[in-house]
Amino acid sequence: MKSKINLYLIEYAINSILRQKFKNIFILFIFILLTSILASIFFISNSIKYELNSTLKALPQITVQKLKAGRHYDINTNVVDEIINIAGVTDAIPRVWGYYYFANLGANFSIIGIDEYENQYKTSLNKIIKEFDFSKALENNSMIVGEGVKKALNENYYNEYFNFIKPDGTFKKVNIAGVFKSSLELESNDTILLPKELALEIFGMDDSKATDIVVKVANPEEIPTVANKIKLLYPDTRVITNKDLEISYQNIFDYKGGIFLAVFIVAIFTFFIIVYDKASGLSSEEKREIGVLKALGWKIEDVLKEKFYESFIISFFGYIFGVLIALTFVYVFNAPLLSNLFSGYSELKTSFQLPFVLDVNTLFLLFFLTVPIYIASTIIPSWRSATIETDKVLR
Amino acid sequence: MNKKSKYLISILSLTIIAIFFEIFYLSSFKSLKQTQIDEKLSLLKVTALPDLAISTEAMYIRHRSLADTFSIFKESPELREYFPSTFVYSHSHIFSNTPSKVINEK
Repeated sequence: MKSKINLYLIEYAINSILRQKFKNIFILFIFILLTSILASIFFISNSIKYELNSTLKALPQITVQKLKAGRHYDINTNVVDEIINIAGVTDAIPRVWGYYYFANLGANFSIIGIDEYENQYKTSLNKIIKEFDFSKALENNSMIVGEGVKKALNENYYNEYFNFIKPDGTFKKVNIAGVFKSSLELESNDTILLPKELALEIFGMDDSKATDIVVKVANPEEIPTVANKIKLLYPDTRVITNKDLEISYQNIFDYKGGIFLAVFIVAIFTFFIIVYDKASGLSSEEKREIGVLKALGWKIEDVLKEKFYESFIISFFGYIFGVLIALTFVYVFNAPLLSNLFSGYSELKTSFQLPFVLDVNTLFLLFFLTVPIYIASTIIPSWRSATIETDKVLR
Repeated sequence: MNKKSKYLISILSLTIIAIFFEIFYLSSFKSLKQTQIDEKLSLLKVTALPDLAISTEAMYIRHRSLADTFSIFKESPELREYFPSTFVYSHSHIFSNTPSKVINEK
């Protein structure tokens, strides 16, 4: 059997939609609202996830922390020599980093000390800082700060330098020499990067101590074995592999995703209630219309086709407009209001751009959750009344 | 084909074209470029610290995946929403019971 799209049926469907203008506009409006909200939420979460996962590769394979009295404690740097001797380990770097609580703002800065003489940092640093030569950072007592830190310090009248309060109560004046590129805001907003010696001084730490040790392993397959060996060598340490970091990312997303799931469930339930209400029966007018059509000689098939076109036009328009609005809202206007669900409120707030990722899965999920269900909810009751004897419907 | 179906089909094709155009526009201007990803990777190479700088109020919510073993658990294992940074909006700045914090509000 050859089936062609019957243009007259489409025309009839359009007329039938326009006949009940207000009802259909209302349904279309709800449809657009639902799809655009759901799509925006999915787009935002996908973008942030993408942002995090795109940098997951660069994270250290193993991080070794010392635990003392159940707390994170400074680790001795001589541990490094023994870790390097483990087969498969290419490098182990003692690291100095920590937080500095800036009471005026109520926020923590992340202070990271790096070895300014190490070659591996130089090329990387050139890429990420606006203009600065880090090689003389120690002599000049200078640091590189994130955009958020710079803004916060400016607001507190620290335009050129900042006085860190050391644990012994004295001040340490450090010059602001550079700012991280604004495209890195999401990663470096609260970051202060300075030479290791300065960081040790600000934290009041001994030269022989480090915050933790970063271990590089040549073969990714060997990471668990190396981690086990370190754990056996130093039972007082906590060994974090990059797999653990990945899992913890997932946990963060599951936690925030729970909020999204709640919104999603509410929206879907609302939609199902509307659909159920439609499916539970047609109005007597609609029944009458079907009866008249059948009396005029329409087949059941034709009635169903017409109803299909009618519901498809409404739901497909709703879907397309919803996606269009969501794309514009999230990626052009950066999702005002909704993105706060994820980023939250914070004193050192980042104003990041959501990177665009085309997520075909989300689009398909939304399509199959809305359009076919709406079509079914229109067709099933029409089919029910179309199969009843014509005179019964008309009477 | 009557006028109405012509309108319908033209609106439909217009919106579909608009979607494709917008996707094209976004993917060429708003997506992460390779240079930006490289910059991010080199930043991480230097700092080697995970997590995004979204929440900075307490140590254990910045670099959460490297936090102390017990630092979250001494508060609550599932991180209850009592901390300002996990809320969507800022608290009221007109009336504040926490004098140690939030001094320089605009």
